[in-house]
Amino acid sequence: MKSGASHPRVSIVGLGNVLLGDDGFGCLVVEVFRCEYECNPEVEIIDLGTPGLDLTPYLHGKQLVVIVDAVTADGNPGTVRTYSESDLIDCRTQLRLTDHDPGLQESLAQLRLAGSAPSEIIVVGVIPQSCAFGEGISKPVLAATSPAVESILRLLRERGFECRKRRHPEQPKLWWIFDSTSTPGPARREPAAHVTGSR
Amino acid sequence: MTQRITIDPITRIEGHLRIDVEVDNGSVQKAWASCTMWRGIETILKGRDAREGWVFAQRFCGVCTTVHAMASVRAVEDALQLEIPANAQYIRNLILIAHGLHDHIVHFYHLSALDWVDITTIPNANPARAAALVDRVSNWTGNSHHELEAVQNKVKGLIASGQLGIFANGYWGHPAMRLSPEMNLILFAHYLQALEFQRKACQVVGILGGKTPHIQNLAVGGVMNAINLNSLATVNMDRLGMLQGLLQDLVPFVQQAYFADVCLLGASYPEWFRYGRGVANYLAVPDLPLDAKATQFDLPGGVITNGGLASIRPINDWKDQPIRAAVAEDLTHAWYVGGVQAPWKGKTDPNYTDFHEDGKYSWVKAPRYDGAPMQVGPLANILVGYASGHPLTRKWTDAAFTKISSVNGPKVAAADMQSTMGRYLARAIRSAMLSDLALKHWQLLTDNILKGDDTTFNPPQFPQHEVFGVGMHEAPRGTLSHWVVVDKGTFSNYQAVVPTTWNASPRDERGIPGPYESSLLGNPVADPEKPLEVLRTVHSFDPCMACACHTLDAKGRQIAEVKVL
Repeated sequence: MKSGASHPRVSIVGLGNVLLGDDGFGCLVVEVFRCEYECNPEVEIIDLGTPGLDLTPYLHGKQLVVIVDAVTADGNPGTVRTYSESDLIDCRTQLRLTDHDPGLQESLAQLRLAGSAPSEIIVVGVIPQSCAFGEGISKPVLAATSPAVESILRLLRERGFECRKRRHPEQPKLWWIFDSTSTPGPARREPAAHVTGSR
Repeated sequence: MTQRITIDPITRIEGHLRIDVEVDNGSVQKAWASCTMWRGIETILKGRDAREGWVFAQRFCGVCTTVHAMASVRAVEDALQLEIPANAQYIRNLILIAHGLHDHIVHFYHLSALDWVDITTIPNANPARAAALVDRVSNWTGNSHHELEAVQNKVKGLIASGQLGIFANGYWGHPAMRLSPEMNLILFAHYLQALEFQRKACQVVGILGGKTPHIQNLAVGGVMNAINLNSLATVNMDRLGMLQGLLQDLVPFVQQAYFADVCLLGASYPEWFRYGRGVANYLAVPDLPLDAKATQFDLPGGVITNGGLASIRPINDWKDQPIRAAVAEDLTHAWYVGGVQAPWKGKTDPNYTDFHEDGKYSWVKAPRYDGAPMQVGPLANILVGYASGHPLTRKWTDAAFTKISSVNGPKVAAADMQSTMGRYLARAIRSAMLSDLALKHWQLLTDNILKGDDTTFNPPQFPQHEVFGVGMHEAPRGTLSHWVVVDKGTFSNYQAVVPTTWNASPRDERGIPGPYESSLLGNPVADPEKPLEVLRTVHSFDPCMACACHTLDAKGRQIAEVKVL
């Protein structure tokens, strides 16, 4: 940006549709991570939903991109695995990010040709139990939140990016989930605190 | 010999589109459009606080997030008859303009250009000749001989590596690919440059919206942006300057590269002004309001029937009563329970039956306007503007016609716009208009703030009885409307009638097909195994499932299936 706003070198990206059950795992994890840990401004933490090719601007020129998403792979629901970029290419027939992987593959390929692909990209994936509409997140996948948050932390620290545990963790804004993160229940009916329209 | 081609991608972005066509003697005789994914979003919104509907609505889709947020707040404001401050209109308008430019740039270059551009011929291009060719239509700075040569070298490297990656799936060498190597080089160079400019458009949305995708700054009653020229944390002169800089970078790319490229494409593929007309009823709603009361708009609305521009009935503002009475959704061929429903009484109860071409075959409902199917999108937008003598529409449409004939292209008139190529051209014309309007609305916002107005929000008051509202937005893919019933502050009903529903509509109770379906009739198909021409026409609508029409799924299986009938 023109006025010298800082350019984050690292993106922690949550992908998925929060309305499709376990598909919202990535969005959940990055929000929980953001609330528990504090990073320097070089690290951007963002829930991108299911952007398809609109992922491109967020990968552009980054040193490191960590993508958190549900992945289709063999294994038990709730299993957390990390994949490197070469895994993404080599295992394409076994591994597929749910529904929106063409956006990732194609965004990366375009950026590589344009000379602005990220230097390193890592996927923290969870194997979903069910990605059905309006069902909420399943127990095994919800339980995978902490391991996934730990994975992000480890990846950043291994590469020398500082992350501090917040002394006063923020309350995650999980407006799409149910009463709380620990007890999935019926859909919430009261307005979310951050959109009440009062200023 | 009649052949049936089914194009049915399995795993694609945000919605799954299946197209079936029957081809006889190299030409499409019958077509069906089917959406194979169900969205029960409306069900999720019932019973929720009307002030937070937009937060959910913008997750309807991953790509068109902003537009649903906007239609949702406008629907509730309409129900409450709540005005929003002028600053809020301008801030929303700037977001919508930047989002629209982003969307149109990505559609042309990254989602559909490779239906027309054969990158495998680029190594044979003469970069000097390409630079001279494009100089005739454009003074864009990214067209130098050296720039084009550098792109050519990248493509040579890619092809030599044998790893075409995402570019491996194109219909390269298809007989319908007829651009010269030089034209392919020019368009592909801009394909790569477009990555940078779509990013700038995103930044505009991000600065005003707080985040993109999924803007955070909306509220029923206005926007949450605080305006204070003396504060670092709000909309101040520094932010406004940053926005102006981004817009000033973006405008030349749109007007000199994108607009000129589509004119060159139209000149090179003149026959595509004859295919793909389809439903010739057009609907566009007014957008980019210029005042708090939303009485004046920068984009005109109207209804055109049977392709006759003289038939136009203007829609002057969002309070228009006829449109509220005219829109209904026909469920005869959609996988839902029910017949024909007005949106405020609409239900979304699934009734899946598998694909029965004479029965139910799609998750898309069939919206009708006074009982007739309508085409929506940039073409409707441009035809309505052209028919009503809107100066900005006339300026850029006439500029496009002149440019096309200046490069030995066909003589195009407004009637020729009702075609596959016309939809591409209309999108480029609309983008050129939006870029003029981007700077205008930036100025309106800045002037209003400098005048001392810093209001951005009027608090909503919810009555203790049921109220009805409709939120309209002329989105990148066309007319979007959210229909809400609000009872004591919560939604008792919610229906979204989205652009792709109008265009991808299945048949209705009278058997009349929707725009995709009828646009494919008479469309040529040179090679049924590679139905490139079908993709061109479907992609010209910019289906929200644009990415759904690629030719391979994640496992590399060919997805165009051909059967002899």
